Amino acid sequence: MRVVIVGAGEVGFHVAHHLALENIDVVVIDKDRDTIRRISDNTDVQTLIGSGSSPIVLEEAGIQNTDIILAVTDSDETNLVACLVANMISPTTKKLARIRDADYDKYHQMFSAQAPHIDTIINPEIEVIKTIHQFMNIPGAVDVGEFADGRLKFVGVNLDKDLRLAGVKLSDIPAVAEKARPLIVAIVREEELIIPHGNDCLLPGDLVYLISEDHKLLDTLSALDKHHQPVNRVLIVVGGRLGFRLAAFLEENSVQTKIIEKDPDRCTFLAENLNRSVVLCGDGSDRSILAEENIRDIDVVVTVTDNEETNILASLLSTRMGAGKSIAKISRFSYFPLMQAIGIEQVVSPRLSAINSILHHIRRGKVLSAISLKGQQAEVIEAIALETSAIVQKPLKDISFPKGAVVAGIIRQEDIIVPSGNSVIEPGDRVIIFTRRQAIPKVEKILSVKLEYF
Amino acid sequence: MRWPFTLKIIGILTLFFGLTMVFPILVGLYYQDQSVIPLLESMGITVLAGFILYFFFRNHKAETISQREGMAIVALGWTFVGLFGALPFYFSDDDFMFVDAVFESVSGFTTTGASILINIEAVSRGLLFWRSFIQWLGGMGIIVLSVAILPLLGVGGMQLYKAEVPSPVPDKLRPRIRDTASVLWKVYALISLAEVVLLMLGGMTFYDALCHTFTTMPTGGFSTKNASIAHYDSVYFDAVFIFFMLMAGINFSLHYELLRGKPLALWRDSEFRFFLGTVVLLVVLVSLNIFGSIYDSLGQAFRYGAFQVVSIISTTGYATADYEKWPAMSQLILLLCMFIGASAGSTGGGVKCLRVMLCFKFCYKQLFSLIHPHAVFSVKIGGKVVSDDVMQSILGFLALYIGLFTFSSVILAGIGVDFTTSFAAVAASIGNIGPGFGLVGPVDNYAQIPYLGKWMLIWCMLLGRLEIFTIIILVVPEFWRK
Repeated sequence: MRVVIVGAGEVGFHVAHHLALENIDVVVIDKDRDTIRRISDNTDVQTLIGSGSSPIVLEEAGIQNTDIILAVTDSDETNLVACLVANMISPTTKKLARIRDADYDKYHQMFSAQAPHIDTIINPEIEVIKTIHQFMNIPGAVDVGEFADGRLKFVGVNLDKDLRLAGVKLSDIPAVAEKARPLIVAIVREEELIIPHGNDCLLPGDLVYLISEDHKLLDTLSALDKHHQPVNRVLIVVGGRLGFRLAAFLEENSVQTKIIEKDPDRCTFLAENLNRSVVLCGDGSDRSILAEENIRDIDVVVTVTDNEETNILASLLSTRMGAGKSIAKISRFSYFPLMQAIGIEQVVSPRLSAINSILHHIRRGKVLSAISLKGQQAEVIEAIALETSAIVQKPLKDISFPKGAVVAGIIRQEDIIVPSGNSVIEPGDRVIIFTRRQAIPKVEKILSVKLEYF
Repeated sequence: MRWPFTLKIIGILTLFFGLTMVFPILVGLYYQDQSVIPLLESMGITVLAGFILYFFFRNHKAETISQREGMAIVALGWTFVGLFGALPFYFSDDDFMFVDAVFESVSGFTTTGASILINIEAVSRGLLFWRSFIQWLGGMGIIVLSVAILPLLGVGGMQLYKAEVPSPVPDKLRPRIRDTASVLWKVYALISLAEVVLLMLGGMTFYDALCHTFTTMPTGGFSTKNASIAHYDSVYFDAVFIFFMLMAGINFSLHYELLRGKPLALWRDSEFRFFLGTVVLLVVLVSLNIFGSIYDSLGQAFRYGAFQVVSIISTTGYATADYEKWPAMSQLILLLCMFIGASAGSTGGGVKCLRVMLCFKFCYKQLFSLIHPHAVFSVKIGGKVVSDDVMQSILGFLALYIGLFTFSSVILAGIGVDFTTSFAAVAASIGNIGPGFGLVGPVDNYAQIPYLGKWMLIWCMLLGRLEIFTIIILVVPEFWRK
């Protein structure tokens, strides 16, 4: 498979890196020499210096033999033109573009039906707002994802020191926790990813990934001592594009929203375009303004400035001053492992969201969604079991499943089946597979077609 | 710098290299000569050494190789390969001194083709095959081959590739380094096959055709005959060799484009035009110069002139004539050829046409900006701008090349070698050519160079093959600091 990526920014870089590790041929185009140097020094990809919207550059990148083009530059216009040109030269190539401007929201369908024929428009901001909303409602979540159109939730939580279930074997948990049995698919312990068996125990400090039905989720989490607190008051630091979108979204969900913005002109804009939110003109890391606005009574503080250091500090400051909890926007992946140590649990990243939405389009087989975990060591894939696939109509214990991958759940119409060795996957079922990165190519293989067909 | 991991990779490379010794063993078995036992011993030692290194550090894993580690792996890897490759010579009955064995081996790997053997034809067939075969391995690069074949080098392959093939403007033919490396080796093997066939059509035995191909394609220059190519004294062979030496002196990515059905790619490449233009010009000058004074017919003058110019500028080092008897101008042109060298991305050595060309352009830019102080002028190649840091690294390369050349020739003269010889021996070693002037001329060899001088020339050959930086970095104290 061959993928052309236009734009070697954070998203382009990480998608390229991710794909190159899976032995996919990747060509990256960017205008900036230094960005190109960074990617060619660190990743096994071919690079081209030039404009991704230029037909000559795209031809040079071999667009005709390319399966997927991914336009992820910072400019919506460049991304659109790149897809348009790619469509002219090579109509069969699948086109994915990142478009962030909210004005385009209503027209996404049109772009795929008409001229540029963009197969998928990725708007990470919509994803981020969804994630922030989930973080507000799922107690303790550090990572969330959805399967089966939201009926099934995938959640990562850090376990507290005084965990009731500490030291209990996984196979004994249903007996101890009465209401719901959490289906634990992975544990990250001391930065090491473990796929647990019945004999493994939970320990305080673990990061646990679990899958649960939406309506049972809160019960499941309270078994892990994560209790739900309703969110009524939210403070957003900085009313940029994301802050504005978030405020508008929260208004619709009738949450009391305050939004702090430094720039007076922007404040005027926010005040004109938002109805019930309180727009404050000031600095989000200013103690006096936070105290003035009763930070103690705020349930959630969301920091979404463009500067991640400011986000981190503002989040820490507001929780120190008594806010319920904070959610920070962090783009730089290298900061993720530090977040828990400095006391920021909930982190959103538009770039990680973009990568997740891109990944599932690149996966082969009938993959509905693919979520990569924060540390990027593993992925959760939701796919439809094809009739020709090697995993159907056999008990799970008889399937030679790739090492490092497990079936975490089977969805058959309305039912959600927790798999055991004797479970059988029927054609048409949706399967949720948790897999380490190394096993991904093999998982893709078994999902698509039986091996002996080749 | 993660030394255990670095040593593990070097162990894998050594192990892999040891396995290639099976080919000369097969040749030795076929001819039933005395080279089989020394080769078997060497293979055993090399494989064992590589395995021990690997086994000892097997638990050290890493996802990537840093630039520094890449350079260390390549520099040390080549040193190891040079030393282990010397074992078959050292163990053979032809009583090689240790330094001579290493000299012959490194001269082979670096595709220099300088020899200390006085009577080549007396050496056993298996060993001679090994001598040619290591040139072929070294030509496209043993590490490029490993990257192509061994999957475990994975992502890190790129740093290794860059350290072994340090082209000023690196080009990746395929998105993945492993594919790039294997494409290059396939092209290399394909052209080699063509040469074997053409040589056999001219009546050469399969053994000699193979050995000579193995030394033409990497622009090496070892021959299985005492008199080198002059042994055959055939216009046909001269023509075939000239053609393939030129081929080997061209950037292999152009060959790849050519094989993909884009014949114009060759002509569009400005370095190729520069290389070809230089060759044609110098051939004409030399032929006219030796016509009358040495050869009576223009045809003869052209035949020998062309062969010698192409042989030296491609840094092969075959000989069909004793050019030391030629007029001074021809000799100086040949000396100039030693410095110019072949194209970047070819198997040839020297400074490389691309660098020479960019240097000219840079000088012109300096003059231009003296005339138009406000002019904005950028150095371009093939319509693309050459960035300042690339230009700087080229100027740095030239400064180091000339500096090391001067330094080494002064040392060699200090050991007691005469003026011409010390000058030419260093030029021929650092440029990976082989024959020089004076005591190391086309009809002499390096046996008479003193002991210390041989070690220094070994170092020069490695410097030249890995294009200075990768080797010289090892003597920079900063490299070893934590």
